[in-house]
Amino acid sequence: MKSRFSIAVLSTSILALAAGAASAQDKTLVINSFGGAYEAAHKKCIIEPFEKATGAKVQIVTAYSSDAFAQLRAQKAAPQFDIINFSGGQEIVGASEGLLAPIDATKLKNAGDLYDFAKANLAKGEGPAYSIAAIGLVYNSDKAPKAPSSWKDLLDPAVGEHLVLTDISNGYGMLGFLMLNQVEGGNLDNIQPGLDAVGKLLAGGAIVVSKSPEIQQEFAQNDAWLAPYASDYAFTLRTAGLPAKFVQGAEGTPASYITTNLVANRPNQDLALQFIDTSISAEAQTCFAEALRYTPTNSKAKLAPEVAADVAYGEEGVKGLIRFDPAKIEANRAAWVEAWNKAIAK
Amino acid sequence: MSDRTENLLLVLPGLLLLALAFFLPIFQMLALSVSGPGGPTLEHFARFLGDPFYLSVLWRTVKLALIITAVCAAIGFPLAYIMARVGPSLRLWLVIMVILPLMTSVVVRTFGWMVLLNRSGLIPQLFRDLGLAGRSFNLMQTETAVVIGMVQVLLPFMTLSILGVITRIDPRLEEAARTMGCSFLRTIGSVVLPLSLPGIVAGSLLAFTLSASSFVTPNLLGGARIQVLASSIYNSVTQTLDWPFAAAQAVILFVGVILVLIPYIKLTGRSDG
Repeated sequence: MKSRFSIAVLSTSILALAAGAASAQDKTLVINSFGGAYEAAHKKCIIEPFEKATGAKVQIVTAYSSDAFAQLRAQKAAPQFDIINFSGGQEIVGASEGLLAPIDATKLKNAGDLYDFAKANLAKGEGPAYSIAAIGLVYNSDKAPKAPSSWKDLLDPAVGEHLVLTDISNGYGMLGFLMLNQVEGGNLDNIQPGLDAVGKLLAGGAIVVSKSPEIQQEFAQNDAWLAPYASDYAFTLRTAGLPAKFVQGAEGTPASYITTNLVANRPNQDLALQFIDTSISAEAQTCFAEALRYTPTNSKAKLAPEVAADVAYGEEGVKGLIRFDPAKIEANRAAWVEAWNKAIAK
Repeated sequence: MSDRTENLLLVLPGLLLLALAFFLPIFQMLALSVSGPGGPTLEHFARFLGDPFYLSVLWRTVKLALIITAVCAAIGFPLAYIMARVGPSLRLWLVIMVILPLMTSVVVRTFGWMVLLNRSGLIPQLFRDLGLAGRSFNLMQTETAVVIGMVQVLLPFMTLSILGVITRIDPRLEEAARTMGCSFLRTIGSVVLPLSLPGIVAGSLLAFTLSASSFVTPNLLGGARIQVLASSIYNSVTQTLDWPFAAAQAVILFVGVILVLIPYIKLTGRSDG
């Protein structure tokens, strides 16, 4: 962990040197992305169009949110990122620690098109959400006797042993569990109702997996019908040839916001703002939704029907989005994971 | 240069490696397990031993290791006896067969079991087709699956330990027992078995310690719900990031294994003497 971190710091500083050399032209931005398919879509939908439009260069450091945040904190005196992307709510802490710069919404021409929740705290330094992973019900449209519509359907005895739950060490698993907990009458100060419900589901034959590929395995080989999980994963399953569909639960849709943030005390802030503006544009978000089935936050994003069916789309779709307080989740994570492990142990 | 210094020079690299790769981490782990915010503390141990959940994890670890060892011995002893008594070419083939599973990675072997044991896999399907089990019958994520997977991994250790001892037993002892009127089973029971006890004990030690500390197979075949001590340590290290507690659990596993080893070693010491 430590060595990976120092390698990351090292690579960032090398990049920063390169960035320093190029900054004579003031045309280079250093950002982080999340690797894999996400980074590929990031390049195609945002970075390449931005480079083409502005003539600037974007350098990508592959770092997940928590790693990127650790680097940002370590570099407080001399930050090396211009833009930093988070998926775990780190911007809330980052903004309160002064690591992120407030954003003047008038400087973003696409800001007006964003749904309100996506730009709520720009002035505080929390960057806009440019896409959202929506957690709902992923189900097998061939085998499930009826299409689920509510989180209560997880508790339907008919589903029983065809239900797949995800361990809460997984971020999406955590959000799905917190939603089940809320539906059962719990809240972030009391997860016992959720644990009790999980106990009942397991007694009914539900399976617990810890990584997303195992969900695919359960759907492909073990006759799974239903799993509370992210909208993009239903698409992944379908791409793999499985009859999977995504539906939002009637009680609400827990959401993981992917935000793009302006790092404080960096020279190229105007260029960085342009990059943020590109990220929140309708074109970029449409492209992201088509590539990965993330939910757009720009009300002008126009999705084809088959894409729209996989995400929380439009005014109606995003109305049900729920954001569980990321700071509170972080503070309780260790205790919750332990309680969860105890609850699911046979 | 005297013989002594030469010997010392020769043993030095090994000692250094042992010190760096074994004693140093063990020492660090011991230190970590008693570290607390306000100086040395035993609270991590108290937390483990005072929590029925962790005690049940410990009990499952010990129970599974005992079952696995017993099954290995029950299969390994007759197998080793037959291997010792057949002709050399057949013995070679049997040895190859026993060792073959060791040639692939434990992950690959375990994955094979996952394919066979899951709900639509060959074995549960067969049970269902024969009408021996209900529609939802599933072997994955059960203790049975862990035992099956671990026995396959550990059987070579047990069989080969016993084989080494049985090949050294004089066949004339068995012939003598038979001429004195013992049945075949009685010969095995009162001549071969007692004489091969050191091999069984050595194999059991290997099987027990390896299965008590195994992580990959229980994790893949047992899943998140069948926790053993190794997976609980893993959770503390990677999920709750509570390293001192993880170290305390590791120390408990370490001490537990040593506690089992001591009487075993004493037992063999006596039977050899």
